[in-house]
Amino acid sequence: MIRLINVTKHYPGRHHVLREVNLHLRKGEMALLTGPSGAGKSTLLKMLLRLEGVSNGTLMVNGVDLATLKRRHIPAYRRRIGVVFQDHKLLMDRDLFANVALTLQVAGLPARQVQSRVRAALDKVGLGDRLREYPATLSGGEQQRVGIARAIVHTPEILLADEPTGNLDPRLSNEILDLFRDFHHHGTTVLIATHDQGQIDRLGLPVLRLEGGRLHTPEDYQ
Amino acid sequence: MNLHIRIEAARNALSALGRQPISTAMTILALAIVIALPVGLFTVLTNMENLLGSWRNQAQISLFLHKDASPQAINRLQHTLAKTEGVVGVRYVSADAALAEFQKHSGMVAAIRTLGENPLPASFVVQLDPLRYPPSALQQLISHWAQDPAVATAQSDLHWVARLQAILALGQRAALILAVLLALGAVLVMGNTIRLHIAQRRDEIDVASLVGATRAFIRRPFLYQGLLQGAVAGLVAWGIVVAAFYWLQGPVDRVSALYGTQFSLVALTPEQGAVLVIASALLGWLGSLLAVGRHLDHTFA
Ligand SMILES: Nc1ncnc2c1ncn2[C@@H]1O[C@H](COP(=O)(O)OP(=O)(O)O)[C@@H](O)[C@H]1O
Ligand SMILES: [Mg+2]
Repeated sequence: MIRLINVTKHYPGRHHVLREVNLHLRKGEMALLTGPSGAGKSTLLKMLLRLEGVSNGTLMVNGVDLATLKRRHIPAYRRRIGVVFQDHKLLMDRDLFANVALTLQVAGLPARQVQSRVRAALDKVGLGDRLREYPATLSGGEQQRVGIARAIVHTPEILLADEPTGNLDPRLSNEILDLFRDFHHHGTTVLIATHDQGQIDRLGLPVLRLEGGRLHTPEDYQ
Repeated sequence: MNLHIRIEAARNALSALGRQPISTAMTILALAIVIALPVGLFTVLTNMENLLGSWRNQAQISLFLHKDASPQAINRLQHTLAKTEGVVGVRYVSADAALAEFQKHSGMVAAIRTLGENPLPASFVVQLDPLRYPPSALQQLISHWAQDPAVATAQSDLHWVARLQAILALGQRAALILAVLLALGAVLVMGNTIRLHIAQRRDEIDVASLVGATRAFIRRPFLYQGLLQGAVAGLVAWGIVVAAFYWLQGPVDRVSALYGTQFSLVALTPEQGAVLVIASALLGWLGSLLAVGRHLDHTFA
């Protein structure tokens, strides 16, 4: 599903962030992307979202080489991915319903379908009865759950998360990670970036460790 | 392209405008004034043209004849006059007819009787379309007629009509230049307003593009905002012009009464109003198109 072959990345005028990274994450797998702050975890996720280009090597998602993906095809490509951010990137002037609905509206879904699927997604993260509330009235953990609802409302094939529990205490973190596990069990490919060692030890998930621009990949993920 | 996507975009545009009612109203008013200026000027000029049109039929030249002019000379003159380009009518007024006319219109019958003989000359009254000639040519034509051996003096009230016509042409050119400049101004006002809206909604734009919004999806509400504000500004401009003309009709009535005529101002026909609204909607749309083009591009790097 996600395949990196000798991927190298450097930002203009800077040394390499990633050097000859190889990875093969198959359909339905779930893994943690770890490494110290500044190791390039976010950069790798941005490349998967086609927010950043590859400097060298090949990055394939679902058989599509992202380097050859045309500009006008990027939106359709992004609609097959769900993404969760540490700062959740919710729109504070829209209620929860509108925040989650955005994912479906950009895809041109009719209002009736948007209604039912947004409800279902918010139900899944335990906020189904708070559609008309605004993000500011929610706790950090609840905000992140809205972010997750927005990321999965369109049932993406791939779910990416960049430090999704970075701002949360351990108990809330576990709740959030349980949600990811749940989606994983329903067949979604999940890649979570985190630098939290405690979390890494606890979860017992495959760990892909970035350090010094290199990815230490377990045998099965080569 | 599905209709419901457009409807959603229109709702989005409306709610964005509604969230900032004061700034929306200010933008619309600024646009309306910018649009009303050239439109008002054009309308004034159109009215003056109408006025000119009603006067040009009354414009005439009187050629007073020598008392001793021979019938042959008078005949020859009549032929020349009739064949001249732009002449719509030539009427011979004999001395007797002139006297009868004069007596009918003035009470000085007795005074004239005391003169014993008719003091009035015969004349040709020539009706001419003054707009067929530039003012200088008109002048030449009249003095040419004045030199005819049969003619004693020529009297005309045509010069000012032609001059007014020339001034109107100048005014129309000036109004056109003004309209082009102000249309550019309207586009810039709209563009700047939309630029601010885009800046305020940067987060939303970024998130939308992350979840797979197309460029068209993101810019559509902004284009609708421009279109809508432009259209409303056009309506307001129409209102301004109509109100101004309504206000001017009183003085115009008094002036016309002095000249014994009646002239009613025509502000804008419904067709012209519709064109005005559509044109200003397009200006608003164009302004936002330019702003969106410049300020959304880096979202899709
Ligand atoms: N847009 C950018 N331009 C230049 N350098 C960047 C940019 N984004 C990240 N970097 C640099 O790339 C390196 C990796 O950053 P990042 O991918 O954010 O690491 P991580 O998410 O693992 O903390 C850092 O040194 C960071 O400063
Ligand atoms: Mg990071």
